[in-house]
Amino acid sequence: MIISFKSALKLVGIAIVLFCAAFVCTFFLNFYLDVLPLRDEVTEQMLPLYEAQLATAQMCCAITGGVLTFIACIMALFYVKLYIDEHYKELGTFKALGYSANRLAASFMLFGLSAFVGCALGYGLGHAMMPSIYKWLTIDGLNVEIHYHTGLLFGIVITPTIFLGAVAYLCAYLQLKKPALAILKGQRKQRKIKSNNGSKQNNNSFLKEMCFKTITDNKLLTFFVTFSAFCFSAMIQMGASMESLVDGTMGWMILAIGLVLAGTSAFMALTSLVKNTSQSIAMMKTFGYSLRERVTSIFAGFIPFAILGFVIGTVYQYGLLTLMINLIFKDVGEVPDYSFNVKIMFITLAAFIVTYTAITAIYVAKVNKVSVKQIMLEN
Amino acid sequence: MIKAEHIFKSFNNGITEVLKDISLNISDGDFVVILGASGSGKSTLMNVLSGLEQADKGKITVNEQELTTLNDKQLTEFRKNNIGFVFQQYYLLPHLNVESNIKLGADLVKNHNYAEIIESLGLTDKIKKHPSELSGGEQQRVCIARALAKKPSVLFLDEPTGALDEATGRDVLDYIIKEKERHGFTMIMVTHNQNIAETAHTVIKMNSGKIVEIHTNNKQKTAREIGW
Repeated sequence: MIISFKSALKLVGIAIVLFCAAFVCTFFLNFYLDVLPLRDEVTEQMLPLYEAQLATAQMCCAITGGVLTFIACIMALFYVKLYIDEHYKELGTFKALGYSANRLAASFMLFGLSAFVGCALGYGLGHAMMPSIYKWLTIDGLNVEIHYHTGLLFGIVITPTIFLGAVAYLCAYLQLKKPALAILKGQRKQRKIKSNNGSKQNNNSFLKEMCFKTITDNKLLTFFVTFSAFCFSAMIQMGASMESLVDGTMGWMILAIGLVLAGTSAFMALTSLVKNTSQSIAMMKTFGYSLRERVTSIFAGFIPFAILGFVIGTVYQYGLLTLMINLIFKDVGEVPDYSFNVKIMFITLAAFIVTYTAITAIYVAKVNKVSVKQIMLEN
Repeated sequence: MIKAEHIFKSFNNGITEVLKDISLNISDGDFVVILGASGSGKSTLMNVLSGLEQADKGKITVNEQELTTLNDKQLTEFRKNNIGFVFQQYYLLPHLNVESNIKLGADLVKNHNYAEIIESLGLTDKIKKHPSELSGGEQQRVCIARALAKKPSVLFLDEPTGALDEATGRDVLDYIIKEKERHGFTMIMVTHNQNIAETAHTVIKMNSGKIVEIHTNNKQKTAREIGW
């Protein structure tokens, strides 16, 4: 087997993201399916709230499930590319020996295993917590019983597993379609290079150029950095604001999911960044660039993306909560009073700065450990 | 002046002894070849003399600075001010073009006149190319330019022709020797190629982590004169 079970299960990022998606979707969809047939039992007085709850369940499933599945797909594409970049010698040898791109790519379907693990755990936890979640979701006066819906198992666990496996297959197939020799030379070395034949001297300093090139060479990582900051900002602020709007438990849950997603994306982005730039870091250290210079040239370019993610997250959570309140509570007598919470925003910003500085500090220590000897051994 | 006194270095918690009681003196401006078979400890000796690694025991002094007492940060600063490197595998930064790779060295010492080095190494028409667009010999010349652009007082070369064919290797060696004559820095080259040793002034032969012979060539050969 070209891809081992161990490698497939290493895609923790996908598993965590889909765990969150499956967890939220399981209890909301189950609740939705259990509440839907009770419409006849709902009194005129309860109806607006009943419909508001159905709308909340639909909206939460669509947003959480949709966005997180999209993120998981991007992660899958990223992991496949990373795997091929790191194992180009083995894959090139297989291709040279006569393995077809189709056969090699088929083994990447095993990456769907991580999706299965994440979805199954999320689905299981969603069911385990269902009794307590039903308690605070159910409207007073309505008796909602928990029923098991087999279709959900297919929709929440099986479908994402197959879908992610197919995405991994397709992505791998497109990359492994190349001739064996091209694969053997390595993906990274095969990048299209736009050379300028002019001889005009470049006045940018090496460090500025290094910083710029690190960003342009790791465009996908800018997405994960932005997404990480977005999750941190949006979900902490949303979670904190939820407490006064709906229910404290819901707020804590959103906050926890936000932190998990933010941490996973940041970990993935920074680990890949240090890995991708290890040769540059080692050479800079060998030639005498200080730790500060090395770290700045690698990480500094990502700061604007982290700030951008925070700003988008802040605007998003405010927009979403305003929209939800207007949509869901429009027919309910008491529309909760909601306005942008500046205090929460500043507290989140402070937490954001402290957390991301601490995370970066861990990676700074990793950067300091990269040596030319390590690079020599890897080569 | 480089002075090493009773240097010991081992790996795997002392199990693998790589350098065993090495002592040597290298004068300023000398061209030294450290010659030895694979596993003789020559690359490790280069690493400890250049401050890439610390020796376990002994004393190393380079330009009156004792390396064995320096911490990692101080060693980095020492390399910045004194040392240049050329490696067998080039280690050029693949995403940067030739000029930017050379600036890695030049910017460290604020050398804005690196164009002269580019010209002398015959790289003027290649400065906007990326490493993947260059031949092995050209890549090695970029490495040499990168190292020289930081105006080192000591240049360390680890098998600089090891990955090149004979003709290209000869060309590269020729460039190295010419640049050494032009700039007058101390040059320490690690190689397993006996013939290359004939181009050096001082030859240090190593075997099993020990120096087995040090001799001086009265008449150094040029890169064109040696066999391969």
